[in-house]
Amino acid sequence: MPGGDRVLIAVLLAFGVALAAPVIVRVAGDRSGWVLALLPAGITAYLLSHGSRVAAGESIVERVAWVSALDIHLSMRLDGLSLVFALMIAGIGTAIVIYAGGYLRGDRQLPRFYLLLLAFMAAMLGVVLSDNLISLFVFWELTSITSYFLVGYKHEDETSRKSALQALLVTAGGGLAMLAGFLILGLVGGTFEISELLSDPEAIRGHEAYLAILLLVGLGALTKSAQWPFHFWLPNAMAAPTPVSAYLHSATMVKAGVYLLARLSPALGGTPAWFWLLTLAGAATMLAAGSLALLQRDSKRLLAYSTLIALGTLVMLIGVGTPGAISAMIVFLVGHALYKAPLFMVAGSVDHEAGSRDVTALRGLGRVMPITWITALVAGLSAGGLPPLFGFVAKELAYEGLFENPLLLGALIAASAVMVLIVYLVAWRPFAGREIHAPSAPHEAPLSMWLGPALLAAGGAVLGFAPWLIGDSLMVPAAAAVLGELHPFRLYLWHGFTLALGLSAVTVALGVVLVWRWRPVHDALRSRTLGWTFGPVGGYDALMAGLVRFAAWQTRVLQSDDLRHHMTIILGFTVALTGLTATFRGELAFDLRHEAGYFYEYIVLVLVGAAAISALRAHSRLVAITSLGVAGFGIAIVFVFFAAPDLAITQFLVETLIVIIVALVLIRLPRGSLRETSNGSVRAIAGTIAVAGGALFTVLTLAVTALPFDASLTTFFEAESYPAAQGRNIVNVILVDFRAIDTLGEITVLAVAASGAYALLRRSFGRRRDDVDTEDRSDRVHVERGGGA
Amino acid sequence: MSWLVGAPVILPLAVAALLFVLQGRREAQRVISTASTALLVTLSAILLYRVSEGGILVAQFGEWRAPFGISFVADHLSAIMVVITGVMAVATAVYALRDIDPDREALGYHPLFQVLLAGINGAFLTGDLFNMYVWFEVLLIASFVLLTLGNRREQLEGGIKYVAVNLVSSLVFLGAIGLVYGVTGTLNMADLAIRLPQAPGGLVSVIAMLFMVAFGIKAALFPLFFWLPASYHTPPQAIAAIFAGMLTKVGVYALIRVFTLLFVHDVAYTHTILLWIAGFTMVTGVLGAAAQNDFRKILSFHIISQIGYMIMGLALYTPLALLGAVFYIVHHIIVKANLFLVAGIVRRYAGSFDLDRLGGLYRRAPFLSVLFLVPAFSLAGFPPLSGFWAKLVVVLAAADVGAWPIVAVALVVGLLTIYSMTKIWQAAFWSPLPDGVELAPRPSGLLYAPVIGLALLTLAIGFWSGPFLAVAEAAATELMDPTAYVRAVLGDAAAATIGRTP
Amino acid sequence: METPLALTVGVLFACGLYLVMQRNLLRFVFGLLLLSGSVNLLIFTVGRLTRGAPAFVPSELSTPPGDVSNALPQALILTAIVIGFGLVVFAMILLLRTYERLGTVKTEELSAHLEAPRPVPMRHDDEAPA
Repeated sequence: MPGGDRVLIAVLLAFGVALAAPVIVRVAGDRSGWVLALLPAGITAYLLSHGSRVAAGESIVERVAWVSALDIHLSMRLDGLSLVFALMIAGIGTAIVIYAGGYLRGDRQLPRFYLLLLAFMAAMLGVVLSDNLISLFVFWELTSITSYFLVGYKHEDETSRKSALQALLVTAGGGLAMLAGFLILGLVGGTFEISELLSDPEAIRGHEAYLAILLLVGLGALTKSAQWPFHFWLPNAMAAPTPVSAYLHSATMVKAGVYLLARLSPALGGTPAWFWLLTLAGAATMLAAGSLALLQRDSKRLLAYSTLIALGTLVMLIGVGTPGAISAMIVFLVGHALYKAPLFMVAGSVDHEAGSRDVTALRGLGRVMPITWITALVAGLSAGGLPPLFGFVAKELAYEGLFENPLLLGALIAASAVMVLIVYLVAWRPFAGREIHAPSAPHEAPLSMWLGPALLAAGGAVLGFAPWLIGDSLMVPAAAAVLGELHPFRLYLWHGFTLALGLSAVTVALGVVLVWRWRPVHDALRSRTLGWTFGPVGGYDALMAGLVRFAAWQTRVLQSDDLRHHMTIILGFTVALTGLTATFRGELAFDLRHEAGYFYEYIVLVLVGAAAISALRAHSRLVAITSLGVAGFGIAIVFVFFAAPDLAITQFLVETLIVIIVALVLIRLPRGSLRETSNGSVRAIAGTIAVAGGALFTVLTLAVTALPFDASLTTFFEAESYPAAQGRNIVNVILVDFRAIDTLGEITVLAVAASGAYALLRRSFGRRRDDVDTEDRSDRVHVERGGGA
Repeated sequence: MSWLVGAPVILPLAVAALLFVLQGRREAQRVISTASTALLVTLSAILLYRVSEGGILVAQFGEWRAPFGISFVADHLSAIMVVITGVMAVATAVYALRDIDPDREALGYHPLFQVLLAGINGAFLTGDLFNMYVWFEVLLIASFVLLTLGNRREQLEGGIKYVAVNLVSSLVFLGAIGLVYGVTGTLNMADLAIRLPQAPGGLVSVIAMLFMVAFGIKAALFPLFFWLPASYHTPPQAIAAIFAGMLTKVGVYALIRVFTLLFVHDVAYTHTILLWIAGFTMVTGVLGAAAQNDFRKILSFHIISQIGYMIMGLALYTPLALLGAVFYIVHHIIVKANLFLVAGIVRRYAGSFDLDRLGGLYRRAPFLSVLFLVPAFSLAGFPPLSGFWAKLVVVLAAADVGAWPIVAVALVVGLLTIYSMTKIWQAAFWSPLPDGVELAPRPSGLLYAPVIGLALLTLAIGFWSGPFLAVAEAAATELMDPTAYVRAVLGDAAAATIGRTP
Repeated sequence: METPLALTVGVLFACGLYLVMQRNLLRFVFGLLLLSGSVNLLIFTVGRLTRGAPAFVPSELSTPPGDVSNALPQALILTAIVIGFGLVVFAMILLLRTYERLGTVKTEELSAHLEAPRPVPMRHDDEAPA
């Protein structure tokens, strides 16, 4: 196949360069950004080279076996939708990589930073190019992990760490739900290959598990794309360095959820459940983000909320799912990427050069940062949805796509008005004015930091005038991939005086009102807490705190330090499990009519039992030991009754030794009664378990002895003992010949027990270090020995 | 080739005897002990290779034929377990060269370590139920002594609990063996596979419960796991690592063995109980970890939680699920032991296991940070590391039979595992060094060698999981159909009688 | 004769179980000894009882004449007794050592002693490079 396997190679190459990045950075020094940008630039060029084939409706498909035991392949598929996303990832990635070189110039963590950033890019490319659910999931999780490390870049700052963890737990939690959804999807569709699943949508939509699939996959997509009520992690993720915010948390990673929904919409979409889930989530996200944005004055957080608005819009449009809405979604997606990334980078440049992100603390920067300001204005006008920029084209299209859903349209208009306000706060207010207000003396950003954003903003301007440049070649094939069939549409800057244009005017007017009344509204909102803490963020915090509390509680209850407590649970469980099984499933049969014994046999058995009970009740240690001895000797006598002399001798011997050793140990233990001070209920529980356990063993013994016995093993031993093993004592022959390996183990146990007892008894060993940590001493020895190693 | 089957047991036993004689000659002991583990892993690898090429290998001790003499049987599962024991032996032996202090060496650390290995391998290879009890006792007494070697208060306290619970579990095991013998008149497991189905099912189920409890205690299943977090944080890290890696897995192995070979007459009952236990084990373990603030205690609780996944694979009792269980065991041993080894290095840097007293290691020791991340993220199940495939397979197996509640439990526990691992990461590596704590110079490079080796193994299993899954699949196939096992031990005629009722 | 033996097994087992659930570790060891005796007796009983001759091949014969006691369970119990002996002795010594170092043989006091402040906590000074 022409071009076969090269898409995968591009992704793997990106991972390879990522791993090599630390070395490259050390070699290239300050020029690292420019050098490393060759990778995303090259991938962009490579992707563009496939543009014509994809535009012609072709999909480039590759399949490399990975885990064949599980039918998992590294399948890659480049179609219209993948191409748009991949171009965004690589194209914006180029600008970001260059920008980061300037932004983080001289940072000692730069090598790690580039490693993570490029690894993220590779993983993100993997997500949008995978044609296999499992490999998609693998890349998906890799984006979450790299995001975790990038958000926590300033790791010595506690807020960064918390934000990183929050972002990880929310997205990874969603990811696990998504994995469950993928597994069901795979089982329902009989394959993990996405293109095969999409080829038979009815089998999925009609399946009884459809709703479960939708909800689980939806959970993954919605958490990743920060939809309400999971939106909170995204503004907090602004703790990351600005290039990361611009790239991961605006242009690419947060769009992975959008991508997934778009990708799977031919199979999962078009149902009422799909419509309501996505439109409600999207609209709620837009409205929540729009309102919360009014509280912000930090430029990056403002932009984060504007990203949320855009993500909500995209999800909502996918939920609507009409050809118009999907076309609008694709165009909006590109429009957003082209203006939001430069705006973030501009905000970062301002922070970098003027020392603040507080939009109220900055004025007049346009005089010293003209290029940055022009970039901000061009991107800002696009973001605000004003002509003649691409953002305008996109927004008009989105309005048109929602004409059939006036409520959703209303929500979008309201949110777009807030976008106008955000643009004013970020792109106008800090730059305008004659006097310069800034914490540090501002100056223009270096080339590396203005080139990327300027080019992207210029792209938005060019496409505004000439949207047809990408219309048929990119947008239409992408929409076709989502819709499952071709729906050609044309992009225009000027539609004439249409309803959409009127709504745009209304939006701008509303935005101007917001700009005008911003300060009083903002101050009023900030002065009260308004119970924001009870929102989803509060929910997350409460959940985490609750988890820790619950964990501590269950550990306290189950994991006390008291051995007796453990033994009671363990034995209670043992007896309950076995006893209940015996009672309800055992169907045990007994035969109690055994051959009667001799009188003295009964006497001995009674004696053994009485001795055991006496050992149990003894308060005096002497009585207890004597009772144990009696019980042990009684058992030995039982062995004598039933023709087991070797056993009897061993039992006598061992019992005697144990009694002597116990007595020796007792001499050195504190005197005192064995009486327990436990309360009644503890005794009752232990007593119940003990009695039940004893009964169980009696019953089992009887049930087993009632069965016929197969003595073939013993018959063999009896027959072979002398002829083959030259031994007359069969028990001995078994021990030393037939089952000699048992005896080997037995001797080992004795030897180790003896050496262990010796180790324990070595008085000097314990005493010398009575309160000094042994390991500390060993450490010291090694530190000394290791010297300067 | 039958000597090869016994070699993984006989070699460490012989080395132990030799080291015992060499007591007092520290350098000789260190060299011989470490070198012998290399030989052990080589022989084990050859054994696994032979088994995968030529099928199950059997050795009869003293040339007494089965079921009269004691059989050692190396099927895929046993051979895999023996290989992984060998890998662990090499890793911890090398680590111990810098971790175990001369006092402990003088008290017999080296021979004890070898006896422990012999006990573990004996339990994996024996084909005789009573003989398995003997090897269990061998590894137990060795672990008792290793755990308390040093006589620190903490060790004695943990040691008492560990010893007490394990002695009780051994007695339950012994009683259960007695009952099995009384029912069938045999102890050879292949023979039992033929005779147990002919015995009254109810009685066999009751006896099965006793085995479940006896092995469940060793495997640290809910609610029998208390001894583990009470003791595993007390010995030196080289010892803790092999304990954490291998000892619970001996219990898991035994559960897999008896609940695939012996007690499959009423799967709907026995294995459903196992599934419930697996779920509770996962949840209580991970919650226990969430409540801890000590590096090693968090790791200890995670052993429990992860055991739940393995038992889940066993409980589902499908070829895919058993594949997952076997794969999970291998992955988990490598990863968990490695985390304990990393914890030891961290302690040498910062002087503590207490997360509140740790910090600054990402800045100071970036390489160690990576070495922590590989096993930690693998444990957390992040793709494409080994833990991801392990979790994926067991979850997929559960989904396949529609066991959705356990799928949900497994995934939520996965998320909580991520939480625990990041908790360690953030506290020990990311956060700044707490006031008053100073980092020591970099510890000996010899401590890093096994950590690097195990991390590379984790990466290899993750990126190149195919061959590992294939071996696990072969093991699962044998477990699902014990005919091959019985045929290898008792011959064709006996194998034909499997499952036949009288 | 099986029924009274089974009852004895049960009584020993019950007493042993009760004792291992007690606070005093000494009683725990006593319980262990009773449990051990109970299990040995159980194996002996389920291996079937014979009141005949010991499992011995008389000097003039090559196989035992007629009914002799079942040798296999005897061999198993012998092994178990010896192993159990080793373990119990180790446990007793451990108990002794624990008492000497922790000052108690009560289960609930074992950990309490650990939490008490230790006189020499100078861990980091110990480790500082020379």
